Amino acid sequence: MNETTAATADADTAGGHTAGAGDAPVVVGEGIRKSYGDVVALDGVDVVVEPGEVFGLIGPNGAGKTTLVRALTGTTDAEGSIRVLGASPDAVDPQRIGLLPQSFDPPERLTARELVGYYGGLYDEAREVGAVLRDVGMADDADSWYETLSGGQKRRTCVATAVVNDPDLLFLDEPTTGIDPAGRRSIHRLVERLAADGTTVFLTSHAMDEVERLADRVALLRHGGVVAVGTPADLIADHGGRPRLEVDLDGSRPDDGDVDAVAGALETGAVAGTETGAAVNGPAVEPTADGLRVLGVRPEGIGAVVDALGTAGVEFESLTWAEPSLEDVYLRLTGEQYSPRSGGGSSGDVPDDGGDR
Amino acid sequence: MSRVSRVLTEATAAARSFLRRRTAVFFTFFFPVILVVIFGALVRTQPTGGGLFAEPAGYYIPGYLAVVVLFTPLSRVGSEIARHRDGGRFEKLATTPLTRTEWLLAHTLVNVAIIGAASLLILGLVLAVTDAELVVSPALAALPVFVAVAVALFCGLGAVLGALADSQDGVIAASNTVALPLLFLSETFVPPALLPDWFLPAVAASPLTYFARGTRAIVYEPSAWTGDLAVLAALAVGFLALGAYAVPRTD
Repeated sequence: MNETTAATADADTAGGHTAGAGDAPVVVGEGIRKSYGDVVALDGVDVVVEPGEVFGLIGPNGAGKTTLVRALTGTTDAEGSIRVLGASPDAVDPQRIGLLPQSFDPPERLTARELVGYYGGLYDEAREVGAVLRDVGMADDADSWYETLSGGQKRRTCVATAVVNDPDLLFLDEPTTGIDPAGRRSIHRLVERLAADGTTVFLTSHAMDEVERLADRVALLRHGGVVAVGTPADLIADHGGRPRLEVDLDGSRPDDGDVDAVAGALETGAVAGTETGAAVNGPAVEPTADGLRVLGVRPEGIGAVVDALGTAGVEFESLTWAEPSLEDVYLRLTGEQYSPRSGGGSSGDVPDDGGDR
Repeated sequence: MSRVSRVLTEATAAARSFLRRRTAVFFTFFFPVILVVIFGALVRTQPTGGGLFAEPAGYYIPGYLAVVVLFTPLSRVGSEIARHRDGGRFEKLATTPLTRTEWLLAHTLVNVAIIGAASLLILGLVLAVTDAELVVSPALAALPVFVAVAVALFCGLGAVLGALADSQDGVIAASNTVALPLLFLSETFVPPALLPDWFLPAVAASPLTYFARGTRAIVYEPSAWTGDLAVLAALAVGFLALGAYAVPRTD
């Protein structure tokens, strides 16, 4: 509950760049709770979405993201106060809402064109079907039955059904799941265009790069509660940790002597491009499965690290530099396992470089 | 967008979706045909005149019609609800202007059209393969009304079953459990005289009884049928209202 309160405070102060001053928030949820039997899906979530912003919602599977979308769209009953476009979720003008459910399987024996036309036909006003299909990159396959489309094409068609009524508020629950890079780019461009035109977008996703690119603000949900909210840049600055340089020692795990030698060389070398102090103390250099990790190194400091490695007599095969991202924020705040060598699998450690939890 | 437009949009999508499932279309029409062939052409009355199907062939016309009027809407609407629920379609529709009542009306329209066509086929087949004779009178114009009203009634009941059952398998099992007793104990194939007196109130409580009585009064044994139509219509309104309420909106 305390975490939620803190998140709300952040939400109040970290407005998106498109939020108009004085405009009422599009979504205001306070103390949203939802349980399925003994399982608590939402545990007092507070959320505020400003008009025109892209609001990203991230979190592990089972964190409550889809339940929150359902609560806000009135498709599940939840406790707490929820106002969407100034009304309760079940009283919102449906013309102003668009929804792509996470799990959505429309009639299979309709073509993509018929499907979009069908959903558009339920509204007072709808966009031209062909234009919507072009927006999601489905113009060439518009006359294929839904069941014959690839997974990515199906998802893009579903996205089209969510925007066909040109909504003011669009809920996209994992819109790019199963979509190839080109298809994802179509969806990204669509979201960016909608946002530029003033549409408020509530986006849930497991693709951190997608959220980092699209969202003005991001909330991280864990165990049914918001644990952090803010702009991607702020979240990364607060929780993402420091830039790191991975040193590949050709598969051999370094011994403690290597770590100490490199740390010592960095300390005595007054390394330019490393963060003052932090990079030359013990935690700044740590062993990994295949080499060393040097934390707090900016690109201009890589040469100094190479010098330090040479001074310490440590031979290496390659260097990989990375700056912190939203994925690091996610991994840190959710406590999920992390290993850069195994592609984010389950064998490594959570980076411990001094960031806040 | 008017209510009528939304209903027609939903009905058009539902009809296209159904007509493109060839297996479903085939068996929707083939199932009653099998029954007509078996019970109308193959099964013979005992030489003494007793047993089942001892009545003149025309007596059973309402029974054959009842097969499609009862089974098809129950299973189709129930399954459609299960399919919509499993596919998140109700979650999506809940954020559109389409109401639950409109959804059920649209699917009822589709069923009325499908079952109307099937009923016509059955009627022709019964007349072709059995000795049944159709009483031709102005009242015959009310036969499609009976079919439409009864289909609406059982669409409502199908919606209730679809909402209560937690899967498509459950819907099929539930609809069979409900439909089979109704079919044979509603003055369709089994005359009341063959049933014990204590059971007759149950026959009177079956909605299908009023369909059978009314249509029989039109096509076989001319008599008053407006009362049966009134009861059937009242029940249809009630079941449609119940069904619309039962159509899921939230999880």
